[in-house]
Amino acid sequence: MDDAATVSTPTPAVEQAAPLLRLSAVVKTFPGVRALDGVDLDVAAGEVHCLLGQNGAGKSTLIKVLAGVHRPDAGDIVWDGQPVTFPSPQASMRAGIATIYQELDLVDDLTVAENVFLGHEPRTAGFVHRGPGARRTREILAQLGHPEIPPGRLVGKLPAAAKQVVSMGRALSRRARLLVMDEPSAVLAHDEVANLFRVIRGLTAGGIAVVYISHRLEEIREIGDRVTVLKDGRTSAANLPAATTSTRELVGYMTGRSIEYVFPPRPPAPPVPQRPTEPTVSQGSVAAPVAPLLEVSGLGRSGEFADVSLTVHSGEIVGIAGLVGSGRSELLETVYGARRAHSGSVRLDGRVLRPGSVRAAVRAGIGMAPEERKSQALLLGEPVYRNVTLATFGRLARAGFTDAARERAEAARVTGELRLVPADVRRPVRTLSGGNQQKVVLARWLLRGGCAGTRLLLLDEPTRGVDVGARAELYGVIRRLADDGVGVLLVSSEVPEVLGLADRVLVMREGRVIHEAAASDLDEHAVLDLVMAGSLLSGAQAEGDLS
Amino acid sequence: MATATAAPVDERIKNLGVTRQLLARPEIGALLGAVVVFAFFAVQSSVFRSGAGVANWLDPASTLGIMAIPVALLMIGGEFDLSAGVMVGTVGLTIGLLTGQYGMNTWGALVIALALALALGFFNGYLVVRTKLPSFIITLGTFLMLQGLNLGVTKAVTDTVQADAIDTAPAYRPAYDIFASTVSVGGVEFRVTILWWIALTALATWVLLRTRFGNWIFSVGGNVQAARSVGVPAARTKVVLFMTTAAGAWLVGTMSALRLTSIQANTGIGEELIYIVAAVIGGCLLTGGFGSAVGASLGALIFGMVQQGIVYLGWDSDWFKFFLGAMLLLAVFTNQFVRRLAEESRR
Ligand SMILES: Nc1ncnc2c1ncn2[C@@H]1O[C@H](COP(=O)(O)OP(=O)(O)OP(=O)(O)O)[C@@H](O)[C@H]1O
Ligand SMILES: [Mg+2]
Repeated sequence: MDDAATVSTPTPAVEQAAPLLRLSAVVKTFPGVRALDGVDLDVAAGEVHCLLGQNGAGKSTLIKVLAGVHRPDAGDIVWDGQPVTFPSPQASMRAGIATIYQELDLVDDLTVAENVFLGHEPRTAGFVHRGPGARRTREILAQLGHPEIPPGRLVGKLPAAAKQVVSMGRALSRRARLLVMDEPSAVLAHDEVANLFRVIRGLTAGGIAVVYISHRLEEIREIGDRVTVLKDGRTSAANLPAATTSTRELVGYMTGRSIEYVFPPRPPAPPVPQRPTEPTVSQGSVAAPVAPLLEVSGLGRSGEFADVSLTVHSGEIVGIAGLVGSGRSELLETVYGARRAHSGSVRLDGRVLRPGSVRAAVRAGIGMAPEERKSQALLLGEPVYRNVTLATFGRLARAGFTDAARERAEAARVTGELRLVPADVRRPVRTLSGGNQQKVVLARWLLRGGCAGTRLLLLDEPTRGVDVGARAELYGVIRRLADDGVGVLLVSSEVPEVLGLADRVLVMREGRVIHEAAASDLDEHAVLDLVMAGSLLSGAQAEGDLS
Repeated sequence: MATATAAPVDERIKNLGVTRQLLARPEIGALLGAVVVFAFFAVQSSVFRSGAGVANWLDPASTLGIMAIPVALLMIGGEFDLSAGVMVGTVGLTIGLLTGQYGMNTWGALVIALALALALGFFNGYLVVRTKLPSFIITLGTFLMLQGLNLGVTKAVTDTVQADAIDTAPAYRPAYDIFASTVSVGGVEFRVTILWWIALTALATWVLLRTRFGNWIFSVGGNVQAARSVGVPAARTKVVLFMTTAAGAWLVGTMSALRLTSIQANTGIGEELIYIVAAVIGGCLLTGGFGSAVGASLGALIFGMVQQGIVYLGWDSDWFKFFLGAMLLLAVFTNQFVRRLAEESRR
């Protein structure tokens, strides 16, 4: 046990010890795609090994090979000094590898405890799992900092962040020696990530190795020991120290270019308040109060958010910062009509939208990219272009027939702007990497936005799982839409993103808007402080801003 | 841990009241339905509520229920078996031909019929997991094949469309006592099949809710990808479910062969839909991953009560199917309504 402390620090001693896991020259092809094309990776006991790479670089495929989901076409796996193959998920688990996949894969109609122990149910006298399973689950959840999640609750009834905790609990319940996490922080808010890191540190101190995938470089700096970078299915750099390698260098290995968060310039403040198609209104006067595009007043849903009033002008990007569970997503869904407000109203162009009707919202010109894209927004079996053109409502049809060639061309244009990989829009969405699936959902509304159909775009965590390079593109596209007169209401857990992209920022905590200010008047520290405790700025200021 | 306790507790992870948890149970709609149907007939017919009447409507409910339970498990596991009905006929005819025509010992015939049924169930399941085709299509194929086989073989062997004289075989009597006799309770004769039915409901409920195989059933029906990736033997689970359904068909086929002592070649055709109806009334979703064995049994109970009830009321029994269809719609509407209520009330 006393060598655990030395193992967990990123000293050269780590590299000299025989690695727990060594992959060499692993190849995996899917029909038409060489997802892995010679990957090398070695992971030592007690370290947090980060995998970096652009969307589609092969990270998820690599860990699925490790988990026994995919069989590699070539290459060797050495585990604990022995050459091994993992013909099935069971084989990998038995060896001591536990995996948390990018897509949450829980069974909605089983309870938390049943999900945690699914596939390795504790058995006393051959059967029965309730008692010991629930007790162990409660212990594990407490260890994860979430003793409030009831082990007996059906998983389908839990919020996304709690589901992530459950799948983490499932991995812990295996008592694995290697824990693989594919973008675990994607559905977590700031404080949840801190909690996750605390858990990871506890594990590595006990000698457990962790493979950690994330697109957020600052996370990798904080938790990682070493970094391996994948590019186009190959290891492009390995054995980089996580804490000290510069962003420029990392991004360079990933993309061959050097960019991180590049936010497009804001238009000269204040944002142009009228739509370009209506040039008649008050052109001359600078500070003339112009009717907002979206006007939300006193909106509330019991238990979710209360008394939210906000406006979005056309051409303006408004960002909402706040923790997961602060009611941001629920607010967006209510504006979109997917949830019915209990009080208050939503006006678009001064006209009240019928509450609880997505159809009315879409007809009025509202588009939404929801948080949980897999279940809420994508037809997984359909090709990319169908998913992209889905919301154009026959605009691309001729005489009632959809024009597939034109659909494909249009889809290829917008997905190209977002650097979809692979670029072929005829592939089923199911075969795309996680980040590329996000791009498809966004492309849908971008396509529609470009053609005067969309007036207001609601974006819930638009860059979740999107790699650094494509983020810059995406920010550019969103700003361009705004410049064309579309109003954008954006929710993001990443404070720099909200501050960098939005013109105006609302901070939400526990279902209420507690602060509103121009993005240029805020900095990351101030926002985080508001989000977490609200201690920096007093409530008096928040009241003044709500009028 | 300090951060975790400081965060506001999400509505969705707060403790739920007992009523809400009850409302979310799959069988709640069927339970309400059973109470309403019972009250409806019991008020109007004294025979219906008498001991003999109860024994009378429990009888068809029991054989239907014995099939509806495995069919419900299969549906929770995400699959259908359209050959389940005609398989009852196949089993009955096999027993009938082996005993009546060839004079085989009844026990021997039962064992052979069981082996045959399990083989058929395995065949269905194996094809489904191997080809990944919808079980609806695969078992539609076996359904048609068995239907033809039942008629063809029966005619070839007996020159008629039935197998009879089952009671002439050795060891008929003890087998009859176990599978088809009646038991006297307080002066009323109840079919022994009712006991089988109750026992199987309890067994299936226990398996579903208290064993790991039960978890596997829910997981392969609810999210087969997830199930596989955590090491649930998904293919094996599905094959076992098909074989369980076949075992149910064997039990019911045995019961009717021994009780009627003769079996028609078209026995069981059309019944497969009734089993599915009972399971759906009992709260099973066609999409899998949700349902209960008690629900399926309640569905069968409703079925039995309606079938006998309209006879007691002197209604034209030609209308039976109409009532059954209306019951089905009512039940699924209630199920959906109740489920939405349970969802809503948490908001
Ligand atoms: N089942 C599949 N069939 C066909 N192609 C696939 C399949 N799974 C992955 N791919 C392809 O393999 C490549 C690598 O995908 P992978 O999911 O490993 O990327 P990733 O690095 O995890 O990306 P992200 O950061 O977006 O999650 C992609 O081009 C993807 O389209
Ligand atoms: Mg991935």
